[in-house]
Amino acid sequence: MALSLQRRFVTPGPGETVEEIADRALPDQDQGAAVDAIRSWNLHIFAMRRPPGLLLGSDVVFIEPPIG
Amino acid sequence: MYDVIVRGGLVVDGSGAPGYLGDVAVQDGKIVAVGQITGDALRFVEAEGRIVAPGFIDPHTHFDVQLLWDGAAKPALEHGITCVVPGNCSLSLAPLRAADRQQVIGMFQQIEEMPPAAFTEAFEWTWEDFAGYRAAIEKSLSINVAPLVGHSVIRLWVMGPHAQERAADAGEISAMQDMLRECLDAGAVGLSTSFVDVDENGRPVPSRFAQFEELDALSAVLGEYGRMLQIVPEFYAIDITIARIDQLAELSLKHNIPTTFSPVFDSTATPDNVARTVARVEEQFSRGARVWPQMQTRPIDISFSLLRPSLFFARLPRWVRILRQPLEQRIAALRDPETVAKMVADTGPDGGERMMGRLVVRGGDGAPVELTGRTLSDIAKDRGEVTALALINLSLEHGLDVALLSANAGHEVTDRIGPMLAHPLVHIGASDGGAHLASFSTYGDTGYLFSEFVRKSGALSLEQAVAKLTAETADIWGLKDRGRLEAGKAADIVIFDAATIGRGEERPAFDMPGNGMRYVRAATGIDTVLVNGQVAYAGGQYSEARAGVVCV
Repeated sequence: MALSLQRRFVTPGPGETVEEIADRALPDQDQGAAVDAIRSWNLHIFAMRRPPGLLLGSDVVFIEPPIG
Repeated sequence: MYDVIVRGGLVVDGSGAPGYLGDVAVQDGKIVAVGQITGDALRFVEAEGRIVAPGFIDPHTHFDVQLLWDGAAKPALEHGITCVVPGNCSLSLAPLRAADRQQVIGMFQQIEEMPPAAFTEAFEWTWEDFAGYRAAIEKSLSINVAPLVGHSVIRLWVMGPHAQERAADAGEISAMQDMLRECLDAGAVGLSTSFVDVDENGRPVPSRFAQFEELDALSAVLGEYGRMLQIVPEFYAIDITIARIDQLAELSLKHNIPTTFSPVFDSTATPDNVARTVARVEEQFSRGARVWPQMQTRPIDISFSLLRPSLFFARLPRWVRILRQPLEQRIAALRDPETVAKMVADTGPDGGERMMGRLVVRGGDGAPVELTGRTLSDIAKDRGEVTALALINLSLEHGLDVALLSANAGHEVTDRIGPMLAHPLVHIGASDGGAHLASFSTYGDTGYLFSEFVRKSGALSLEQAVAKLTAETADIWGLKDRGRLEAGKAADIVIFDAATIGRGEERPAFDMPGNGMRYVRAATGIDTVLVNGQVAYAGGQYSEARAGVVCV
């Protein structure tokens, strides 16, 4: 059985910022727009977490919107 | 001459095969024969009209501390459980330096809702390493224990305060690997980690600061031993859960280890989530990965009063902070109009109606009898107050001793849950035994499986249900000597009435250290429980037998 398509994600490197993740994961996009997109796709990090945006090494950071 | 013969029951041996009338002979803690047995024995256990099955295995518990003063993990044993797995969710009580104990107690208090007195009043801390913890619990075990070691405590041991600050460097990861090997050598059944939990200060637990490379390195050690990796994923978000399944699959394939994640809840608000979870699990199993989703049998019922913090308020940090204060300060805060106004505002523009209106007064406490069974919504209307304010004022009027029940808050539709539990890749577990003491009873899930999903809905046959709780669990966890009624296996045996086995009524008990309260359920339909060949529970009474072992 082949694996079905799921949302792509990355995990943060040590000390990596959301800007650095944007540059790494979405290199073809303007950094500001890429950061905004990543924030909107990862509310578990950038809205629900206290403090918001605290990036942890174990985080799943989606680099695309929900599928379908 | 055998030690014990269990005579004349319907033998349901754990394999899933149809039951048959027969006997089970026990010698020196092992099963030595199953079938028609004619020999003599020092003790006969009559099982006519009853089911004779392997002892049940509970793979997700937090009995780490209770086992230090209660080797039966009461009331788990009377529900037919003969082996528990503590140390889940990245937390265990070893390896743990004396200087770090308070920090880990705080995590247990926050995450597992255990009172601090449970860690300070009933036993003496005599250990720091895993072997020392094992020795401390082994002194008086009536139940078997297959303990996990927690990633957070290993991280804390190696990195100290940096464990909750940053990624580990290569030297620290190597030291964690060495410590994990030491724990596995001392009897740990695997490693647990968490991606969701926070400590009592709201700070993510140490395991969450680990890079995937760290978990990969630790999984390599698990691979040397073929042992389990357990995780708590972000169960509230299906896409993240699926991402975690994929990470576990990668680790399982790379290191040839079993992995498991819990909890997996059904919710009619997100009705496709379990199906999507299981579909991804099926895909990963088809590649050869072992990623076992753990699902509990019971609905989500949460009870609470304002006497103590509760899981119910998890999304209301101000309420949590206030309810954590000593009683006098807490009452003072609840009498302060400015504070109360903020608390009510926290519950939403409807004054908490949506969140709290369905709550029902449990009764049996300080609440007036006439309120028992009424909803908080109705009571609030009678009082002319918004719902959250009614909760606060009603509680204040009765010394805060007003228990409310949030019933069926999820995972409650039997016709949906039954087929999920019956799925061959769904691992029945996630009881959380020994945790969340004042929120709900974590005991009786096994009885509920039989009463609700075998007798009532027929989603599983008796033999399927027994297999799920015994042989299948033993196989998943690599407990080679457990889970089947066959010659050579440990004589962990439960004898029960298929017509009456159940989880019993939930009731408060004040049997925790420091007269601490917890919700419990007394088993129904369980006649006798043998652990390693000795009768540990019979006729409603626990025996003095202490035959439990650490069983990896």
